Amino acid sequence: MLKIEGLKKSYAGNDILKGISINVNKGDVISIIGPSGSGKTTLLRTITTLEEANGGHISFAGVDNDFQKLNGKDIHTIRRNIGFVFQNYNLFNNKTALQNITEGLIVARKVKKSEAEKIALKALERVGLTDRQNHYPSQLSGGQQQRVGIARAIALNPQVIFFDEPTSALDPELVGEVLKVMQDLANSGTTMVVVTHQMNFARDVSNRVIFMADGYIVEQGSPKKIFENPSEERTKTFLTDILANV
Amino acid sequence: MSLDTDFMVKVAYTAIHGVPVTLKIVLVALLISLPIGVLFALIRIYRIKVLEQFVKFYVSLIRGTPIIAQILIVYSAFPSLLNTIIGKAAFDINPIYYAYIVFTLNSIATLTEVFRSALQTVDKGQMEAGLMVGMKPRQTFWRIIFPQALISALPNIANATLYLIKNSSLAFIMSVKDITAIAKTEAAFNYNFLEAYLVVWVYYLIICYCAEVIFYLLERYFSKYRRPTKKTTGFNWLPFSIKQPEIEAKTDLTESERTNHAQN
Ligand SMILES: Nc1ncnc2c1ncn2[C@@H]1O[C@H](COP(=O)(O)OP(=O)(O)OP(=O)(O)O)[C@@H](O)[C@H]1O
Ligand SMILES: [Mg+2]
Repeated sequence: MLKIEGLKKSYAGNDILKGISINVNKGDVISIIGPSGSGKTTLLRTITTLEEANGGHISFAGVDNDFQKLNGKDIHTIRRNIGFVFQNYNLFNNKTALQNITEGLIVARKVKKSEAEKIALKALERVGLTDRQNHYPSQLSGGQQQRVGIARAIALNPQVIFFDEPTSALDPELVGEVLKVMQDLANSGTTMVVVTHQMNFARDVSNRVIFMADGYIVEQGSPKKIFENPSEERTKTFLTDILANV
Repeated sequence: MSLDTDFMVKVAYTAIHGVPVTLKIVLVALLISLPIGVLFALIRIYRIKVLEQFVKFYVSLIRGTPIIAQILIVYSAFPSLLNTIIGKAAFDINPIYYAYIVFTLNSIATLTEVFRSALQTVDKGQMEAGLMVGMKPRQTFWRIIFPQALISALPNIANATLYLIKNSSLAFIMSVKDITAIAKTEAAFNYNFLEAYLVVWVYYLIICYCAEVIFYLLERYFSKYRRPTKKTTGFNWLPFSIKQPEIEAKTDLTESERTNHAQN
């Protein structure tokens, strides 16, 4: 469904992504793990064209093109079919929880306001925040903000949702409520690509784990394989370190 | 020394005709310079070629010269410039137009800087979030970024307006009949300058106070999305009272949610 080949990105001569290829199938829940600075965020941002790639090919939602040859329409198509949940939520500060969700529906998708509100309420219900619909982001806790962020993404019914460390800005006691929502989404068949440091999530919820380091995909496979029997030394070291710190 | 109170009342009556003049200068200058200030700020932020250089030059030109010099230059340059274009009619132009020009040009420079810094306070994640829900950059700018920038700009716009009100008193140099000019003329008959200036002083005080109240209300209305904190020391309604107005605090959050938010 989403196929990336040879994706490259560098900042000021520093190669950050050194040729990444990923294949996301419908219903996949993919966890991307790896040390800080390995390029996980950059990967999600270049695929969604929030950052310009320096090379590579994408086939997705009818777009089949080199990253560097994407035109405005391709970019719009790509973004329209990918939902994005940001590490620091990025809710629209001047909009209520409900408006955060209806905004894209009304402005970008041209859905009627009443219809958009219905969709938004349904999305808020899925994340358990119907009672906070009229609150502004500043009146919500971090966990609640992130759940609105998730509701905003699912309301647009994208083909795949990207999560960039959705819980790492949260206080430990608020992580659970967000992970729970993500698990529900995964169970209902939503296609998800999740950059995460939550090893439990990677192990228990995803069907594939990708380990990235230094701008490469070092190895990928089922959670069982990666966690119990990694073939690469780097993966082993990373997992030993991170699991020792939990 | 005693004040001639009868004279003060008389000046107050005549000088009140200058109030609309002062207000007109302020409003015209503000209404024209607000949109242009936004435009210039955008030119600087998006670093639009050539125009960026122009805006930079313009802003430093205005900010680097005293307003009195700007007034003198406009007032001596424009009439003769117009004279060559439209002939003698140029000297019949109501001098208030020159005041409009000077104070607008001046406010544009101030407001460009005000909007530039306000726009930069809006997190760039707001734009990215807009793009990722499928909105165009322009739509995201006007619906998400600009409203937030406007609110954080309000205190500085208020400041700029107060300066504008006070600076407009220099319009008398261009023989505009504003509050100051009228009072001066009255005073010149009997040399009651102190009385006349005290009246001027009170008028400006009242006008500035009203402007402050208006901006305070605007700010309060538009920042409804910001979490009201307990006992905000907002604008003090009564200039001579010690009591601060209390703004209702939102209390339906649990303590842990509060602390959590504070850390984010
Ligand atoms: N805008 C930028 N300009 C220059 N360098 C950047 C930029 N964004 C990221 N980088 C660099 O790219 C590298 C990868 O960053 P990235 O944020 O993708 O890592 P990450 O795997 O998401 O790390 P983390 O787990 O800490 O979030 C880092 O070395 C970072 O310094
Ligand atoms: Mg990251």
